[in-house]
Amino acid sequence: MLKHTIIGIVFFLFGIGTHPLFAQVKYEKESRLKEKDVPSIALDFIDSLAIKKKVKWYLEVGFNRTSIESKFKMNNHKYSIEFDTLGNLEDIELQIKWDELNKTLQDSIDFHLREDCKKFIVRRIQIQYSGDRSVLLPKIKTGESAEDYMIKYELVVKCCYENNINLFEYLFSNSGQKLKVSQIVFKNSSHLEY
Amino acid sequence: MSIKKHFLIVLCLGWLFSNIISAQSTYQLGVLPSINLNYKLRNDWSANFKIESRQLLQRGTFNSDVDKSYQYVLTDYSWIVARKIGLNARLSGGYLFRFREGQATHRLIQQYTIIQRLPSLRLAHRIVTDQTFSDSDDTEYRLRYRLATEIPLNGQSADPKEFYIKISNEYLNSLQSAEYDLEIRVVPLLGYAVTDKQKVEFGLDYRVNSFLDKNARHSFWISLNWFFEM
Repeated sequence: MLKHTIIGIVFFLFGIGTHPLFAQVKYEKESRLKEKDVPSIALDFIDSLAIKKKVKWYLEVGFNRTSIESKFKMNNHKYSIEFDTLGNLEDIELQIKWDELNKTLQDSIDFHLREDCKKFIVRRIQIQYSGDRSVLLPKIKTGESAEDYMIKYELVVKCCYENNINLFEYLFSNSGQKLKVSQIVFKNSSHLEY
Repeated sequence: MSIKKHFLIVLCLGWLFSNIISAQSTYQLGVLPSINLNYKLRNDWSANFKIESRQLLQRGTFNSDVDKSYQYVLTDYSWIVARKIGLNARLSGGYLFRFREGQATHRLIQQYTIIQRLPSLRLAHRIVTDQTFSDSDDTEYRLRYRLATEIPLNGQSADPKEFYIKISNEYLNSLQSAEYDLEIRVVPLLGYAVTDKQKVEFGLDYRVNSFLDKNARHSFWISLNWFFEM
């Protein structure tokens, strides 16, 4: 109890957490995965898409979860499909451009980013679909699906705030609500600089 | 580009390489171990301390005499302080002290680096100006540009307990006593990320200079680097 009180006082005194950009740190370790090590359910999903280009597989280890990710290009878009370690579909991410967002969403995202950053540049936008495998498969193949699925938007943003400049990953809902912000931490590069 | 221009470039490259690999060219072969300590300071500042030593194992002229006697050449000690000035850029300044055959050499260093993060590799551009002072020689002014890349051998970044390849190519323009020289360095290394804070690298550090108007001087250094983040 005392420990929590002290931490609380320190946070209060130093104003940590008062800035809208008090974000958690994003940590991910990504390593290549051979196709033979990918669960068959995940392989079946990718096979059913009949992708002409090469599919790369990765094992992604985060702070509290591990997932399997496939990356490929299809119809001039970069796709990234995430599965759990058993091969169950988690979400589908598709890289899009700012112009592909509708005006209301653009305005809402813009409002939130202006609130957090003095200046910002959106580096990457991904539309994220999550839902049942049987719903998402027709969605990704034809662009249409009769049933419900969830849409979120993941943005990588270069943000200048106070006297700092950093890269953040933002997650927005389909209506433009800010759901999560994580700071992207770079690996040190001193061996490339000295 | 026209055929005439292509021909001119091929001719120039031919002249350059015929000079570089001529039989009168001299060479030296040795080891170049280094220790790099990096400290993260407050408010985007960081510091680097490096010790690098050169030891000669063999030297001579191509197709001629060879001297295989061991010789300790020098040790460099450098201190650099850097400040992050953008998301991926750093401006640094530092000092290098060299001790060679009982004589001290001092070097002032100014450096700008920018890292480009591509999907599966990192590119580091480094521009350095330095000024070298010693009692016996005139001041040497250098302008250097280095492009270095790290290619992970597993996944999209070199994580702990993973290998990577580091390749760098540097061009060093030097001006001393009104004489200009160009040195080219090519350094292919195999690296291993021991932990998030420690890396070791092993490979070749190849350097060639004096090839513009004299016989080229080739240096083959077996490079062994240890990087530690504090």
